[in-house]
Amino acid sequence: MLKISIIKRELPLHIIIPLRITIAVIGLLISIVTASLIFNQDPGTTITFLVNSFLDLNIFRYISVFLPTALGLSIAYSAGLWNLGAEGQIVVGAMGATFIALFTPLGTIEYVGVIASLLFAFAMGAIWAIAAIVLKVYFGINEALTTLMMNYIAYYLVDYLVYGPWRGRGVYGYPETDMIPIQCRLQRVAGYSFSLYPLFTSLLLTILVFLFLYRTRIGISIRALSSSFRAVELSGISSTKLAILAFMLSGALAGFAGGTEVLVYHRKLVPGAKIGAGMGYTSIMVAWLSSLNPVAVPLSAYYVSSLYIFSLAIQIGSINVGDAIARAVIGTIFLLTIVSEFIARYRIILRFRG
Amino acid sequence: MSNVIRVVEISKRFGDIIALDNISLNISSGEIVAVLGENGSGKSTLAKILYGLYTPDRGYIEVNGKQQVFLSPADAKKYGIVMVSQRPQLIDELTVLENISLFLNKPLNKIYNDINIFLQEFNIRINIASPIHTLSYTERQYIEMAKALLARPRLLIVDEATTYLPQSMKIKFFEMMKRIVATNGSIIFITHKIPEALEFSTRIIVLRRGRIVGEFDSNNISLDELRRVMFGETAIIQTTKQAQDIPIIKDAILKINNVLVEDEYGKKAVENVSLDVKQGEIVGVVGIAGNGQRELCETIIGLRKVKKGQILFEGRDITHIPPNKRIAIGLYYIPEDPFRDGVFLNLTVAENIKIFSQRKIERKAFQDIISKLNIIPANPGVKVHKLSGGNVQKVVLSRIFINIPKVIVAYNPTRMLDEYSSRLVASTLTKFASLGGSVLLFSEDLDEALAMGNRIAVMSRGKVIGIYNYTAINRSELEKVMVAYA
Repeated sequence: MLKISIIKRELPLHIIIPLRITIAVIGLLISIVTASLIFNQDPGTTITFLVNSFLDLNIFRYISVFLPTALGLSIAYSAGLWNLGAEGQIVVGAMGATFIALFTPLGTIEYVGVIASLLFAFAMGAIWAIAAIVLKVYFGINEALTTLMMNYIAYYLVDYLVYGPWRGRGVYGYPETDMIPIQCRLQRVAGYSFSLYPLFTSLLLTILVFLFLYRTRIGISIRALSSSFRAVELSGISSTKLAILAFMLSGALAGFAGGTEVLVYHRKLVPGAKIGAGMGYTSIMVAWLSSLNPVAVPLSAYYVSSLYIFSLAIQIGSINVGDAIARAVIGTIFLLTIVSEFIARYRIILRFRG
Repeated sequence: MSNVIRVVEISKRFGDIIALDNISLNISSGEIVAVLGENGSGKSTLAKILYGLYTPDRGYIEVNGKQQVFLSPADAKKYGIVMVSQRPQLIDELTVLENISLFLNKPLNKIYNDINIFLQEFNIRINIASPIHTLSYTERQYIEMAKALLARPRLLIVDEATTYLPQSMKIKFFEMMKRIVATNGSIIFITHKIPEALEFSTRIIVLRRGRIVGEFDSNNISLDELRRVMFGETAIIQTTKQAQDIPIIKDAILKINNVLVEDEYGKKAVENVSLDVKQGEIVGVVGIAGNGQRELCETIIGLRKVKKGQILFEGRDITHIPPNKRIAIGLYYIPEDPFRDGVFLNLTVAENIKIFSQRKIERKAFQDIISKLNIIPANPGVKVHKLSGGNVQKVVLSRIFINIPKVIVAYNPTRMLDEYSSRLVASTLTKFASLGGSVLLFSEDLDEALAMGNRIAVMSRGKVIGIYNYTAINRSELEKVMVAYA
């Protein structure tokens, strides 16, 4: 009889990282080759597409959203709290930034407009997250559900604005606002749709979040929340305040991502589903792929962004497999990535018994 | 006697910590082998390997002449090996009955009577239809014991499970162990209490830093010699003296007035309890486990709601303020369940201490506290879940060393600690009291309560049924009071 047992192991970091990358790459190749054969494509061409996707500078357009959002989520998840509302927090962040840029005099002042818009985006994201966590800590309402539901509220709130009071005068009836003032726009890299400023800010935030979670008492206590609210409380720290703080930071970072979307990419407010575009949900995966380690978030954001580009690339041009297949391939790749994490953490022992 | 089980050249390391280094051991049927060692000497690791919870890095286990490596407790159980561990392995959401049924793999109705008969024999009053999370740590330990004994094992591993049982229960448990031995079973008895090892075992193995440093016939070895082998050169701190019985004129710093607390089901868990602790005083609270002690101390620290009554701290009403605020004003708690309430298992020792510390703490201070408490391994970067039970408790206790408490509410603070460490804790608490601090000591160890307490309160069925001056009562009288109303 075959017996399988799974044993936890701890490998040193300098082995884990190459091991996981190797497994992920092998997995990528296997899934690409299999998919290519099934759909009668030349595996060589597909792999070229894949490699190009990883080298395409357009990935930074996605990293700009995934990095700050997943960074925030990793704070909430470290505390054992389920923030599934990054999507909505991105959307209200965008709404906040648009408000400052378009409807206050600040928007036309150089530098001040940008900073004020982004700060307000932070604040809006935080407020959106706080609503859910307050319900959780004071009334025991599951935060996973409320955050998820609030995504829709955010969508429809913004939809109301762009179809209604905020609809622009020069947009020919499209559901969107007017363009934000030039002073409020962040300069893009020539020929691309991303800007370097938010990217550098995000990298800086990565370091700050790491130092916060691993070096400060409050940050360490946030990570401690996931093992026990009671034990945190008994260490003389208010677990309620910590939970609110963790969620607030989480929402603020997503709000920031939404703000930069307006300032860099859209340059106006568009309907909610177009702003979030599911990136808030994808960020959940980015956060978990990094094992909630802030320093690893840029890496996993890069990885996921590349696959995003890849899934777009194979839907058009010479391959043209269509949206559904593209998604299935990407799904398989992520599955294999998760398998790689499992293999890095556990040893599998097979034994034959007579 | 035939060899039932042989442990052959087993080594186990966790990262850079060597937990066991080339251990070999034979266990014959009908034998009670005590494995003795200080906290972190590798005793529990050995037990966990025998029970299939850990796989050894090197070496193997031989059962009836056949080489085995157990990959899970289910594997070990097939060969009749069962363990009672220092941390109850029960599923919180299920009832006592369901837990035992799962473990024995027998239907509920078939074991219902067996369990009740067993509990009656031990005089344990636990409703087996109640879910595990409503039981105290000690009550869970009883269930753990029942579970193991009902499985009628060939090899029973007892990992520090008897440490805090009342003497009467300990003796009954020992009789049960004898029954197993009489039917050719054998027992590995893991402990850090030398007298226990001498009393209960036929053979004693001493472990230190993962190696066997001595093997003795229990009849031919003295307590002092064992202590020397066990601790090596470590000096034993002198037994603590009774806190000086200076007339206490100061006011009570902690006052509990007529407190009524209900349990999860709305039944009265603590009823009309009034108790006060004065400055410089240690008040011991004793009683048979499950008589409201856990609920009372959780109420004092703020984890439970007070239904009626009042708690005063330095004259201030703290009845309704959350635990973290109580700690901030100097009311510290050594929790009843160290694993759940006392530490963060997924964080490092240094991170735990950092969270406990109310003030900013310097890097050097981590090493100081680790060496003071003799936490093994002495590495602040090690995750707490890798530490042995005793060392986890030391991490819990670090909070009273790095902060400046006014009152310490402690529940079995020396549970799981070896002799050296428990004396350190006892002397720290007595010294703390002699400097004007106050301690409310909930203890299931009567000797400890009597040795340290200025006054002893006895709890039964949620009520304080008597408060005695330590000079006015002795151990056997206390035991009589404890059971009289139970």
